[in-house]
Amino acid sequence: MPNYIKVMQLPILLLTLLSMLSVKSSAQDALTAQEVMMKSHLAYYYSGNDGVSNVKMSIINKRGKERVREFVMLRLDKEEAGKQFYYIYFKTPSDVSRMTFMVHKDPSENDARWIYIPSIDLIKPISADDKNSSFVNSDFSYEDISGRHPDEDNHSFAESNETDSMSFVIESSSKEKYKGFARKVSYIDRNSFLPLRELYYNRKGVLIKEFTAEEIEEIDGIKTITVRKMTNHKKSSHTLVTMSSIKYNIGLTEEIFTERYLKNPPRKFMK
Amino acid sequence: MKTKLTEISLNHPGKVITLALLITAFFLFQFPSVVIDTDPENMLPADEQVRVDDRKAKEDFDLYDFIVLGINSQESGFTPELLNKLTEITAEIEDIEGVISDDIIAPSVVDDISQGANGSIIIKPLVGDSVRSQKEADEILFRISQNKLLRGKLASPNGDLISIFIPIESKDLSHRISEQLKLIAENYGIGEDVFIAGLPVAEDSFGKEMFIQMGLSAPVAMLFIFVLMLIFFKKAKLVVAPLIISMMTVIWTMGLLIVTGNTVHIMSSMIPIFLIPISVLDSIHILSEFHDNLKKQSSKDLIITETISELFVPMLYTSLTTAVGFLSLSLTPIPPVQVFGMFVAVGVLFAWALSITVIPALLKLISTDSLKKFSELDEDKYLLNRVMKKLKQVSVSYGKVVIVLALFVIAVSAYGLNLIIVNDNPVKWFKESHPIRIADKIMNQRLAGTYINFLTLDGMKDDIFKSPEAAKYVEKLQEMIEQDDYVGATTSYADIVKKVRFELFEADSAKASLPDSRDEIAQLLFLFEMSGGDADDLYKLVTQEFDKANIWIQLKKGDNQIVSASVDRINKFIEDNPPPVPMEIRWAGLPYINVVWQDKMVSGMKDALSGSFLVVFIMMVILFRSFKWGVVSLLPLSLTILSIYAFIGFIGKPYDMPVAILSSLTLGLSVDFAIHFIQRLRKLFKEKESFNEAFDEVFKNTGKAIGRNVVVIAIGFIPMLFSSLSPYVTVGTFFLAIMLVSGLTTMVLLPSIVYTFQNLFYEKKNA
Repeated sequence: MPNYIKVMQLPILLLTLLSMLSVKSSAQDALTAQEVMMKSHLAYYYSGNDGVSNVKMSIINKRGKERVREFVMLRLDKEEAGKQFYYIYFKTPSDVSRMTFMVHKDPSENDARWIYIPSIDLIKPISADDKNSSFVNSDFSYEDISGRHPDEDNHSFAESNETDSMSFVIESSSKEKYKGFARKVSYIDRNSFLPLRELYYNRKGVLIKEFTAEEIEEIDGIKTITVRKMTNHKKSSHTLVTMSSIKYNIGLTEEIFTERYLKNPPRKFMK
Repeated sequence: MKTKLTEISLNHPGKVITLALLITAFFLFQFPSVVIDTDPENMLPADEQVRVDDRKAKEDFDLYDFIVLGINSQESGFTPELLNKLTEITAEIEDIEGVISDDIIAPSVVDDISQGANGSIIIKPLVGDSVRSQKEADEILFRISQNKLLRGKLASPNGDLISIFIPIESKDLSHRISEQLKLIAENYGIGEDVFIAGLPVAEDSFGKEMFIQMGLSAPVAMLFIFVLMLIFFKKAKLVVAPLIISMMTVIWTMGLLIVTGNTVHIMSSMIPIFLIPISVLDSIHILSEFHDNLKKQSSKDLIITETISELFVPMLYTSLTTAVGFLSLSLTPIPPVQVFGMFVAVGVLFAWALSITVIPALLKLISTDSLKKFSELDEDKYLLNRVMKKLKQVSVSYGKVVIVLALFVIAVSAYGLNLIIVNDNPVKWFKESHPIRIADKIMNQRLAGTYINFLTLDGMKDDIFKSPEAAKYVEKLQEMIEQDDYVGATTSYADIVKKVRFELFEADSAKASLPDSRDEIAQLLFLFEMSGGDADDLYKLVTQEFDKANIWIQLKKGDNQIVSASVDRINKFIEDNPPPVPMEIRWAGLPYINVVWQDKMVSGMKDALSGSFLVVFIMMVILFRSFKWGVVSLLPLSLTILSIYAFIGFIGKPYDMPVAILSSLTLGLSVDFAIHFIQRLRKLFKEKESFNEAFDEVFKNTGKAIGRNVVVIAIGFIPMLFSSLSPYVTVGTFFLAIMLVSGLTTMVLLPSIVYTFQNLFYEKKNA
């Protein structure tokens, strides 16, 4: 009886193996884990030259209480995988509306950040040296929003990469001691190179955070994760980010990402 | 009727003993299923308002109880090396099972807001990855002292103590976690300099040590009692009997407690230590009487029957009064005390039943030969005989003086009672030399306080605490609370607003105040969240909906007296200065919970004591069928309670949990001697030819039995005086005092009264 089953399964097994081999030969042969991660980094954080979107962030704590933050986010890439500008204009909660926030991201050094506080009409530079700190108290860290450069980690294909036909499975470990994770497992879509799922483990091997791409749409020809979720297993909380009115290559200029525009948001991009 | 049970025992001694052993075995088999509960919080029912509020506050603000780790840096100094070591230690602490690692308050993880380059502000951990120079270390100490949110929490002002506040999942982990903390410190070579404080540790460690003490002191007390009885009665075979009764009583009672599904709480763990002396008392009366009767009779059965019949009524009544004393505890509103009272009462009745059945059976099985030798014990050389003679002389010659003296003692005691201070503090359940006490003392001297209460304000409306009025009210409360000498620090979300504002305006101290605009408050706090501040720290002080705020109050002392004075003062202030918007004020925190259960305990004990006093009086009147004897019988009891509690008042020992519980023991035990004495005296009045003959005789038999009891119990519990846990010392002292005072009043005051007022009390033979 057992032998019979095995014999019956053989063709299926062979077929599966063949199909996997074909995928590999077409897409993966030339790519190292490092390269996959870099492609993913670009697909996720550097799509288009610039972009604008309305972001709704729902932060749900362990008791199921929800807080909502809504903001408009502008992004301009200066160089691929390199310098980037972010501009954030808060809409809700109402008492913080008109607050603006700007980041000049430079992977080779600390980010420069500015915040504008309308109630006292003050622009303040903020020194940041902890990229892993939470972004507006959500479950996303700054780095989850603006990206962690792949060179900061070592990458290798995971065992299950062989059997996964949909995504690359990549294991990463931080080169230097890092609070965000000790080990990360990423599932990268073999076609779009967008991360579908990321698992963050601490030194003790405990799963602390989990990222999932909930919805992916094609916008202006670019595959974009429009609903993303970050679950914090340590705090039993999660944050859902929904992006809408996404546009790419709208012609943003560096000028917008200066202190002047913090006080006077560029209306035409704010709607 | 009185001797029915005894006759069965004499006819079937083997069966009776076997049955008793079988029951004992049954109860012994229940022991493995014991559930131990060492949380003093369970002194209050789980649905008690204060506990509901406490849970709510913990849930609303995601709070936990804290263990406070202190590192003595007096010798090493506030150095980069020590700070770097602490950073590593903190990382290890984060990995301890049961530690809420995200919420640890330590130099390496806590955020500090400061001025950065180019007029920027920085929010980042106070101590970075590595401190490189003494200058950096000094700067860190300075920053702690400048930041109200950190001051007195992370380090003492001069840096001679550094501390880490460690939140834990639940209190019952604190003993284990504190052991792990010690181990980590030892691995880093600073084991000597480490202190561990905080109520959870004290409470949990006390629970743990209590059970160890129990396992230690019960057998030691038994051993002492055995040796003392051996001195009195010489024959080991005879002396074993009371010990067997004692053990059976304890096993039956604890077994019943477990089989009925009760947890063994701190309170009920003390049941054995209460039952041992009580169960020995009856046995000593039986052995004394038996010994005296041996000379008169020849048939062993007859001697035993006569002994039991003689003692049946007084033993029944002493057992009933003791049981009533403890049963009264079930009137207190504190569940563990109720359970304790009920089961000691049941145990007392077990002891009585075993005394009149198993002891006769055991005596029956002892060879007549050894009993012969027992009866030949030399009488007159006996110190106790001489003491009894002396005591008799005192009441004959100085009876009136004794009465006047007693009245004087009552008057002085009444004054002393007014001096009683009601106070308790779980940390003080340890002796002063205990590491927990030392840690408590040093850390509270140098830091802002390890006792943390939470004052929560429920504005009942979202975003209400973003309003300047509400924020300023919180600030006003803090200013008032901080005037208290014992309050080392208070912390609220208003402090964060002020701190952010201060740093935002380039450390301009004029700006270290609350803004007048609602939007500004909201935006400053948003800035705090945006710029890397650990928002969880903020949400321990105000809810995410901004409908509730929480003021942390750090007290340097956890004495209930001090805590409740602080709470009262604050409540009064709130009453006089009502909030600008409707708010519900609630308290939470372990020190506050302790205050609440103590209040309940004290008032509950008062009712319990006066109630059982009345019941005992009625029982006495019924027993003696005489009002005047009823009144007289209560004299030793009243005098004992009065003088012991007055003594507590005079020496300034706080009236705490053990002292409160012991009033029921005092009541139950100190009437016993009087019952034996009066019962026997009145019987002798009927048997003997004259008052003097009867008076003489009562000293010889009952007097001696009482004397033996006093010595056995008083000395038997002396080992407890050396316990490292102060409640044990208190219990031991009470046994000693109860025995001495009630023994003395029974053997001096009672005879003096009876002798002086012979006409009133002498009931002539055949009258």
